[in-house]
Amino acid sequence: MLSNDIIISLLIVGLGAVIMMLIAAFTKLSNLILSYITLFIISLAMYFQMGYLGELFALDIQAELFNHMLRFDNFASLFNMIFLVGAFLMIATGRAFMQATKFFIAETFSLVLFAIFSMMLLSMANELLTAFIALESASVAIYILVGINRYNVRASEALFKYLLLGSFSGAFFLLGIAFVYAQVGSTQLGDIRQYLLINENYELIKVGGILMMITILFKISAVPFGAWTLDVYDGASLPITAFMAGTFKIAIFSVALRILLVDYQNLSDFFRPLLIFISVITIIGGSLLTLAQQNIKRMLAASSIVHSGYLLIALSATTTVSASAAPSIIFYLVAYFLSAIGAFGVLSYISHWDTERITYEDFKGFSHSHPLLAAMMSVFMLSFAGFPSTIGFLGKFYIFTSAIESGLIWLALLGVLAAFVSIYYYFKVIAMMYFYEQKQTYDLSFSFTPFVIGIVALAVLWGGIGTGLVSFLPGANVLIDTAQASIMSLFL
Amino acid sequence: MENILSALIFIPTLSAIVLFLLPLNVKVIRYASFSVTLLTTLLSLWMFSQFQAHSGMQFVEEYIWIKDYGISYHIGIDGISLIIVLMTNLVMPLLYLSFWHLNRKGYWLNLLIVHGGLTGAALSLDLILFYLFWETMLLPIFFLIGLFGRENKNFMSMKFTLYTIFGSLLMLLAILYLGYSHKLQMDIWSFSITDLHSLVFDSQTTLLLFSAFIFAFSIKIPLFPFHTWLPQTYRAAPIGAIVVMSALMAKLGVYAIWRFVFTLFEDLAFKSSYFFVTLGLFGMIYFGIAAMKQRELKKLFAYSSASHLSLVVMGIFAFNYYAHLGAFYMIASHALSSAALFMMLGMIYKRTQSLHIHTLGGIVHQAPIFSVFFAFFALSIVGIPLTGGFVSELLLIIGAFKYNIVLGFIAATTLLIAILFVFKVMQKILYGKLKLESFEELNLYELLSIIPLALLILAMGVFPSYFLQKIKPTAKEYTQMETSYVK
Repeated sequence: MLSNDIIISLLIVGLGAVIMMLIAAFTKLSNLILSYITLFIISLAMYFQMGYLGELFALDIQAELFNHMLRFDNFASLFNMIFLVGAFLMIATGRAFMQATKFFIAETFSLVLFAIFSMMLLSMANELLTAFIALESASVAIYILVGINRYNVRASEALFKYLLLGSFSGAFFLLGIAFVYAQVGSTQLGDIRQYLLINENYELIKVGGILMMITILFKISAVPFGAWTLDVYDGASLPITAFMAGTFKIAIFSVALRILLVDYQNLSDFFRPLLIFISVITIIGGSLLTLAQQNIKRMLAASSIVHSGYLLIALSATTTVSASAAPSIIFYLVAYFLSAIGAFGVLSYISHWDTERITYEDFKGFSHSHPLLAAMMSVFMLSFAGFPSTIGFLGKFYIFTSAIESGLIWLALLGVLAAFVSIYYYFKVIAMMYFYEQKQTYDLSFSFTPFVIGIVALAVLWGGIGTGLVSFLPGANVLIDTAQASIMSLFL
Repeated sequence: MENILSALIFIPTLSAIVLFLLPLNVKVIRYASFSVTLLTTLLSLWMFSQFQAHSGMQFVEEYIWIKDYGISYHIGIDGISLIIVLMTNLVMPLLYLSFWHLNRKGYWLNLLIVHGGLTGAALSLDLILFYLFWETMLLPIFFLIGLFGRENKNFMSMKFTLYTIFGSLLMLLAILYLGYSHKLQMDIWSFSITDLHSLVFDSQTTLLLFSAFIFAFSIKIPLFPFHTWLPQTYRAAPIGAIVVMSALMAKLGVYAIWRFVFTLFEDLAFKSSYFFVTLGLFGMIYFGIAAMKQRELKKLFAYSSASHLSLVVMGIFAFNYYAHLGAFYMIASHALSSAALFMMLGMIYKRTQSLHIHTLGGIVHQAPIFSVFFAFFALSIVGIPLTGGFVSELLLIIGAFKYNIVLGFIAATTLLIAILFVFKVMQKILYGKLKLESFEELNLYELLSIIPLALLILAMGVFPSYFLQKIKPTAKEYTQMETSYVK
C-alpha cells in the first residue's frame, strides 16, 4: 500500500517531463507559462514527498516488479526533497534570466524534470546498474542543458568537453560494476556487503570500488579529475551552473554515500588513505585555482572544488568510527546548495539580457544602487566562507568536528586554513560591491525573482542561528537530525 | 526583566537590521539609532543598579541551541564582564553624538551591529556562541573601514579582516577540539566553559590549545609581535571604527584571555605568567617608544593604546588581587580616555582634514575649551592624579611589586613613558606656533559627547571605591582560587 504511494512523486516528475516535452513540441506557450507549469509539477511532487520526512523507515519499492533494485528510505526521501527544492529554486531564481534570453528553448523545462527524475532514481538505487543508468541519464540531461546556449561558442565548447570527458569517466563506473559482478555474482548493494562479511578474498571488489570512485570523483570535480569544472561551469548559462553546482553534486554524493556506507564499509581501511589523499590535493588545488580567477562566475566554479574538498574530508571521516561524518556531509551539501543557488540567482538576475555580468568590475559599487540585493549576495558569500551566523558556518562546524572525532585533526587544520584562504576571495566580492564607486547602471525589471532570492538568504541566515524557541519555524537542529535519521535508515 | 542581557545584545542588532530594511532617510536613521543606544545605555545602567556585589554569574540565561553538540545560548554577567558591557553602552551613544554631522547611513547601522556583537561576546559563556559574536563584530569593522576609511582603505579593511580571522580560525579549531575532548572524557559534547573547565589534557595538547586561544586574542589586543596590522589600519580607518577598536574591542581581547584562557587552562596560564608579564612590560615600553616616533596622531595614539593594553595584560597575568583589580580598573578608565581622545582626534580631522603633527599647532589660542578637554584626556591616559588612570596604575604597580620586586621596579619606572609622547603632542599641537588659519571651537554636540566622559573619568579617580566594589568580589574569588592553587 505504502510502496504504491511512494513512487507517485517519482511518477509525477517523470510524467511531467514527458508532458512538458509534448507541450514544447505542439504549443507555442511562452517561457513564463512553461516555468509556472514546471513549478507546479515540482510542487506537486514535493507535496507527495513531504509525508516521508518523519520516522525511520526503509522498504523496497515494488520488490517483485523492480527486483529489489529500488529502495525507499529516509535517505532517499531527504535527497529527493532536496532535488525537488533545488530544481524549484533554480527555476524560480533563474526565471527572469530565462525569459530575457532567447536560447532557453521550451524543452529546457522538460530536461530539468528529466534530470530531477534521474537524480531521484539515483538516490533510491539499491543496485549498481540502476545507479549507473540513473547517473548517465541525469548526466545526459545535464549535458544538453550545458550547451543550451546555441549562440555561444563557449557553451558549445563546454558541452563537448563535458560530454566527452563525462562519458569517458562514466565508462569507469560500468567497468567497476563488471569487476564487482565478476567476484560477487550480483550487483545488489546488500549482496556485496554480505559477500564482504563472509569471504576473505575480495580483490576484484576493491578494483571495482576504485573504478567507481573515479567516476564519482570526476563528477564532484575532485582534483585531479575535475579539470573540466572551470570551463564547463563557466560556459554553461548561470541557472544551469547553479543547478550543476548545487543539485547535481548532491545527487552524486547521495550515490557515493550509499555505496560507501552500505557496501564498502568493511573495506574502509583500504579506502581511507585514498580519500584523505584526494581531499588534501582537492582542497589545496582548488584553493590555488580559485585565487587565480578573475571573474566571479569562474571564482564560484573554482571554489566549488574547494567545497568538494571539505566534503571529501567528511567522506574520509565516514570510513572511521565517526558517526557524525555522514550526516555532516548531508548538512554541508544543503548549506552549500542554498548559498550557491542564491549567489547564482543574484548573478543571473542582474544579467543584462543575454550578457552575463560576472566580472568583479561589474560588481563595483553594486550596493549603491541595489542595497538589498547586495546584502543578499553578501550573505551568500559569508555563508560560502563559513562565517558564523550563516548556515555555512554550521556546515563547516559539523565537518570539522567529524574530522576531529575521527582523529583526522590534520585534515581539519587543512580545512580551517582553506577556509581562511576562502575568506579572501569571498570577501573580495563584498568589498567590490560596497567599497567602490558605481561603474555602471543596472536597469533591472521588476519580478518575483528577488523575493525568492531573499527567502533563500533568510534560510541561509536562519540555518545558522535558528533556534527551536520560535515555534512555527524549524530550528537549526532539525536539518542535522533529519540527516542523522536518513543515514540511520540506510542500515535498516 | 530577566532577559535583560539578551535585550542588551539584540536590541541594537535587530534595530540595525530593521533600519537597514526600511527606506528611511539618514536623519531618521541617525535619530533612531541614537535613541536605540540611549535605550540600551539606560537598560545597562538599570542592570548596574540591580547588580549584586558578589562573585557569581548573574542574570543568567540558558537555552539549548544545538542539542546533539551541547551548544547552548548561555549568557551571564559577573563583575568583569559588567565593565565591558557598561563601557560599551556608555561609549556608544557619545560616539554617535561626537560625529553627529555625518550623514552616512552605513555608519550608524554598522556601529549598532558592532555594539550588539561586543555585548554578546562579553556575555557569552558558551564557546561557540562566543565565537559567533566574536566573528560577527568583525564584519561591521570591515565595512566601516572599507566604506568610510581613507587612502588605501580597501586594502587595509581586507588585511585587518584576514589578519584577525586567521587568529580566530585557529581558535575555532581549538574550540572544536575542546568540545570533542569533552565528549571523549565525559561522553557528551559540550562547549560550555563551566563544563570544559574540568577537562584534563596532557601538557603538549594544553600548550597547543592555549596557544591557539592566546594567538587569537593577542592579535585583537594587539600584543607584541602581532601588532603589525595596527598602525596602517588605524591610519586608514574612520574615527568611529577606531574608537570601537581601541576603546572596546581591544579590551574585549584582554577580557577574553581572562575569561576563557584562565578558566580553561588555569594551570598553564599560571605557569607561563612570567613570560606574559615580561612580554606585557616589554610591549608597554616597545609601543611607548614606537608612539614617540609617530608623526600622525592616529598612529601615535594607536601605539599609545597598545602600550597601555600590554600593561593590562601584564596585570592580569600577575595573578594577584591588586594587579587584577588594577588591570580591570584600567580597562574601564582607559576605555573612557581613549574613546574620548580618538573622538577629539575626529573633531580635529573634521576641522583641518589632517592629523599630522606638523600641520597642527597653537590650537589653544583659537579654541581654548577644546584644548582644555584635549589636555585633560591626554593626561588622563598617562594617569595623573584625580583620574581613573591614576588609581589603576597605582593598583597595577602594587600588584607588580607583589608579583616580583624587579619587575615591579621596572613597571613603576617605565609606566610614565606615556608622559613623554603625551607632552610632546600637547606641546606641538596645543601650544607651539600658530599654524592654522582658524580652528573652530567645540559645538554643542561635541561638548555633549565628551563632557560625560570627562566627568566619569574624574569620578573614577575621586571615588574609586564606589566603582571597585562591584568588581572586587569577582577579582577576589579568582585570585583566591589561584593562590590556593599555588599552595
